[in-house]
Order: sequence, then structure tokens, then C-alpha cells
Amino acid sequence: MKFRAYFVWAAVAVGSGIIVLLGYFIDNPTIISLRLAFMRWAVLLAAASLFLGLYNLLKVHWNRVGEQKTGWLYSAVLILTFLVSLVLGLMFRPDNPVILILFTYVQLPIETSLMGLLAVSLLVAGFRLVSRRQDLSSLVFVGTALLVLLGTGPWIAAGESVVNILFGQLTTWISQVWASAGARGILLGVALGAILSGLRVLLVIDRPYGD
Amino acid sequence: MSGIDFVGLGVLLLFLILLLIFTFINRRRPVEFRKIAAFEDLETAIERAVEAGERVHFSLGTGSVIGSDSAPALSGLAMLSHIAPMTSMSDKPVVVTTGDGAMTKLAQETLRTAYDKAKASVQYRPTYGRLLGPTPFSYVAGIPLLLDTEDVSVHVLVGSFGVEGALAADIAQRQQAFVLAGTDDVQSQALLYATVENSLIGEEVFAGGAYFDISPLHRASLRVQDAVRLLIVAAILIGTLLRTLGVSL
Repeated sequence: MKFRAYFVWAAVAVGSGIIVLLGYFIDNPTIISLRLAFMRWAVLLAAASLFLGLYNLLKVHWNRVGEQKTGWLYSAVLILTFLVSLVLGLMFRPDNPVILILFTYVQLPIETSLMGLLAVSLLVAGFRLVSRRQDLSSLVFVGTALLVLLGTGPWIAAGESVVNILFGQLTTWISQVWASAGARGILLGVALGAILSGLRVLLVIDRPYGD
Repeated sequence: MSGIDFVGLGVLLLFLILLLIFTFINRRRPVEFRKIAAFEDLETAIERAVEAGERVHFSLGTGSVIGSDSAPALSGLAMLSHIAPMTSMSDKPVVVTTGDGAMTKLAQETLRTAYDKAKASVQYRPTYGRLLGPTPFSYVAGIPLLLDTEDVSVHVLVGSFGVEGALAADIAQRQQAFVLAGTDDVQSQALLYATVENSLIGEEVFAGGAYFDISPLHRASLRVQDAVRLLIVAAILIGTLLRTLGVSL
């Protein structure tokens, strides 16, 4: 019975995957309309799966509160704020001032602070990198980062000074020639890897939907 | 019927033919891949974590299933199918976190299948696959609590990340955990290189399946990547040479 079920999932995944893929290569109204319909369904299913994900999030934190695990208070705050946001969102519309206040004065500042924290973390990580990995590639990495920072940041001798112009030109040369070439090479590898990851799913070698 | 993109279909066919050819060649003459220290150290770190009764955290990133950023997470799921059985008998089995509802479901199904194969279905809990937060930074905000309360000592990030990936990796690195991180985004790769000890550069994020020898086709697909890349490099060089010589293409 389980064997049959696995075949059904695989057939549905492969069939719909092939139709969506062919829709990009074959200019046929039937295939294109099928591709668009499948993609609309996928968007709907993804939206529905968000509810499953949120249920999962609540369940994990509910269990944590129930078992009084370390940090259960954070979980309790999460459940409380989740329910308050949900109720307010259902009572008012998403563009209501009450919801906008929650977004502007709670979520936005917290996410911006995390972004600010990232800048500090990266600075510290840069120093740690030099002490952790004392090889040529790390030195080149940190050296290049410093040069680009000097060339793009506010310079002490601002204006048309020779040093300023020199660093500006050096930064442009590094970012437009060396960094672009390297990034394109990496992107090429990533694109090939992505194509083959997709093909493996289409060929039922990888079965993320389970057996 | 208006038209067929023969070039596109041809490229797709080329990938399929090369995949079959390399699968056949691999059976007769298996190839030795270059060493990626991050993958080699990961297995040892997982074994140590299982022995010490510590947990492995596997992050599939903040990308969605339906977006173009799903590919590295699919590669991550393939790696997970290898890692999950290694920890299934532990008191603290692997916990998988995502930033997308559908990806959470895929993680749960991959875990369930891995537990079934390891004949440890009884140990499986759906909460081993978790949505940590639906937005990139809410996802990262959930990481410290997870690391503090779940006794995590191995932290694997293989999926789609933006800049938030570096913050997630940095939090784990500061807790002296073993951290392996890889993503498809070029800028984030640079940030991860600076942040963690074991970062995956470029297409290495897609190589986990081949290095863990999940199936012959995973090994073959890595060789296809190399072969097609060589073809593209040759085409670029020939094109550059012809343009330099004044030949219009």
C-alpha cells in the first residue's frame, strides 16, 4: 500500500514538473495554460502551508511552555504576541492604523536592530578571520574588504585629493573587474548546481516529498 | 502550436544524456572528488555530538519552495536524508528549521522517510521539523533560543540565505559549535566565509549529496556540473578569441 502511495506522489511531482518545464520551452497554448494553472496552485498551496507552519511554530512553543523547559518564558511571550497580532489582524484589516503601529513600532525596529547587529558581527568576524585562518586567501579577503571600504566610505581627505581619487579608482577596478569576474564564475557554478538539483527531483532521485 | 525553443530543450537533453553517461562511467571507473574539509569534518562532528548526547541543528534557510531560491534547500534536504539516520537513535536527534511553511513540511517528510529507513519510526516527532520564523530576521531571532535550550553542538546551514545567514552562523560560531554553512547567494557566501570556519563556496552547496554518496546519480550529477562548466569555459574562451580576431558572431 505504501509502495503504491509513493508511486502516486512521484508521478504527480514528475508529471507536473515536466509540464511546467516544457511550458518554458514549447510555445503551445495548452501547455502554457497548464503551466500557469499549476503555478497558481503552487502559490495557493504555499500560502496554505504557511498556516501549517504557523501551527507547527505554536505547537513547538506550546510544548516548551507546558514542559517548563529553559527559556519557556520567551515561548510564552511568542504565543501571546502571536495571538494578539492574529486577533488584531482578523478584527481590523492589514492596512489598519492599529496593525501599522505594530509593524512600524515593533517589528520594523527589531528587524532594523538585527541588521545593525549584523554590521558589528561582520566587523568582529573580519578580525576573527585573520586570527583564525592565517592563510593567503584570508589575507586577500580582508585586504580587499578594507580597500573597498576605504574607497567607498567617507574619506578623511574628502574631495579631489589624489589619495581619494586613487582609492576610488582602485575600488572601482576591484569591484568591476575582479569581483564581477569571480561572482560570475560562482554564479555559473550555482546555476549548474541548481539545474541538476531540479533534474534530480524530476528524475525521482531526490524525493523531498517522502516515500 | 507557434514554436519550440530547440536550444533550451537541447541543453536540457544534454544534461540528461551526460547524467546517464556519467552514471554508467562511475560504475566502471569511480572518480575521486577533491577533498572538501567542511564535509569531511561534518561527519566526525555529528558522530561526536551523538556520542556526547548533544543535538545537531540543520537549517534549510529562509527561502521558499516555489521560488528560484529553493534549489539549495533541495540539496540540503538530500544531505538531511543522510544525516537524519545518523542521529535517529540519539537522545537528541537532528532538529531541522526553515523559514517557510511548505519547506517545513518537506523537512518533516524527509525526516519521516529517513526514520522509516533506519527502522526508528517510533522515535520520529513532527516537531523535529520546525518553522522558526516566517521572515528572514524573525527566523534569525529564533536561533539563539534554539541553541540555548536544545544543547546544539553541530550547526549545519545549507539553504537559501540572505545577509541574515551570516548572523545565524555567527550566533552559533560564538557558542563554540561546529558550523558548516553554504548558500546560493554570492554576497552571503562572502559573509559566511568571514563568519564561519567551514563555509561552502560556489557550487559546493550542491555537492553534499555526492560527497555523502547518497546515490550514484548524485556523484554523476557533480561530474555533469564539471563537464558542462568546462564546455561553457571553452565556449567563452573561443568566443573571446574570435571577437579579438575580429570575427563577428
